[in-house]
Amino acid sequence: MQGGTSPEALTVLRKIYHATEKLSFSGTFVYQQGERTETSRITRLAGPGGDIERVEVLDGMPREIIRTRDTVRCYLPESQTVKVERRTDTRAFPAMLPERVSDLAGSYTITRGEKARIGGFDCESVMLAPKDELRYGYKLWSDVKTGMLLKARIFNRKGETVEQFSFTQLAIGNVSRDQVRARHAAQSWRVEDAAVAPANLARAGWTMNAELPGFRKIIEVTRSLGESRPASQMVYSDGLAAVSVFIESMAGRADPVRPGPSSLGSFQIYTREVANHVVTVVGEAPPASVQRIAAGVEFRKPRGE
Amino acid sequence: MKTKISELMDGELGSREAAAPLDALRSEGEARETWRSYHLIGDAMRDTRMLSAGFASRVSARLAQEPTVIAPGRLAALPQRPRWQFLSAAASLAAVALVGWMAFGPRDDGAQIAQVAPSPAAQAVPAVAAQVPPPAAANDYLYAHQGLSPRNSLQGVAPYVRMVSSQAGVQQR
Repeated sequence: MQGGTSPEALTVLRKIYHATEKLSFSGTFVYQQGERTETSRITRLAGPGGDIERVEVLDGMPREIIRTRDTVRCYLPESQTVKVERRTDTRAFPAMLPERVSDLAGSYTITRGEKARIGGFDCESVMLAPKDELRYGYKLWSDVKTGMLLKARIFNRKGETVEQFSFTQLAIGNVSRDQVRARHAAQSWRVEDAAVAPANLARAGWTMNAELPGFRKIIEVTRSLGESRPASQMVYSDGLAAVSVFIESMAGRADPVRPGPSSLGSFQIYTREVANHVVTVVGEAPPASVQRIAAGVEFRKPRGE
Repeated sequence: MKTKISELMDGELGSREAAAPLDALRSEGEARETWRSYHLIGDAMRDTRMLSAGFASRVSARLAQEPTVIAPGRLAALPQRPRWQFLSAAASLAAVALVGWMAFGPRDDGAQIAQVAPSPAAQAVPAVAAQVPPPAAANDYLYAHQGLSPRNSLQGVAPYVRMVSSQAGVQQR
């Protein structure tokens, strides 16, 4: 066991991952980030025919997301658009398996916190304190009985909240098929298909010259962004924090590239130009981590060309 | 007045000396503009990433705290905070110009300060990566990232709510 992490805390954490994978539930949660507070309704139906999850944002721009075992559909009624992401090989998709939870102890000190009552549930809590400044910290509260995650707070090194999810109402079990059906009949909507396909970007000449401690590449794909912008994507993760590297050709690009750091909500972004391509790094990690990953992206002409 | 405000920020003024600059700061004007600019410089020197976000509210919060500074006998008890030593007035102005560019970019219309050419003293200042507006199609990246993030194993589909309308997201900044 890595220093400071307690086996009891890992048991609680493992239970949370199991519950997210196995439980049927329906509830309402509040998402807070900076000045923004949004309420969403979420439902999950677990079953032998495959699990279905549905989330609908009730404040601000309407959004509805439905995830089945192999497809994610995002309905945006304002622009009459549905974004579709199909997973041809679900095994290849990055998931943190409950059995692998102890791997997180390499990057975080995982300890138990105090008990609390949230949304009518008696909860236990677990704290993941980052071992360096390359990732945020997490505090999670889960139902003592089922392991269902009731509240998650993500904080920076100053202890300030980066974002927070908190259930205000939750019912576990008793979910019907109707509750996870799309509210929108989107036949006439524009479809944006992500066309995600496995790729080998190193063979195309793209490498990372300095990886971040604790982060490793978990997947690389080619895909379509927005309507039809072809892009390559690599994802680096420590099992919890994740950073994506997007690579797009400059050819035929209309908008000017603005190199440098930016942020959108809790996401940090870093843009730079490499070998006539735009590299956009997007992450749920501190600005320095995103910038370091961006700085490490390198292009070398593949051998034999 | 600029020197006074600089000294006030550094906690170098006694209660009587602080009265005049504090009075000047109570109303919107050149003094308050100077106060903001100096804080921008300080933020840039301390490598604060979000130069402009929440800046006005931080100033308000600091202003709200000021009466304690002029309370008799309290000054000595103020904790020593990390100081940004101000250079000469000219060098400070040049640094303001540099920060002006970095914080707002060329499209900023409050560009009075940004038109001043930086002096050699300001050029010696280590560069702070300037915040730029998020990419136009930022939402597409967030969505694409979310689909492949192991965060989904922890929280299921919930993290998808973090996507914002790309229009609104860009206008925020």
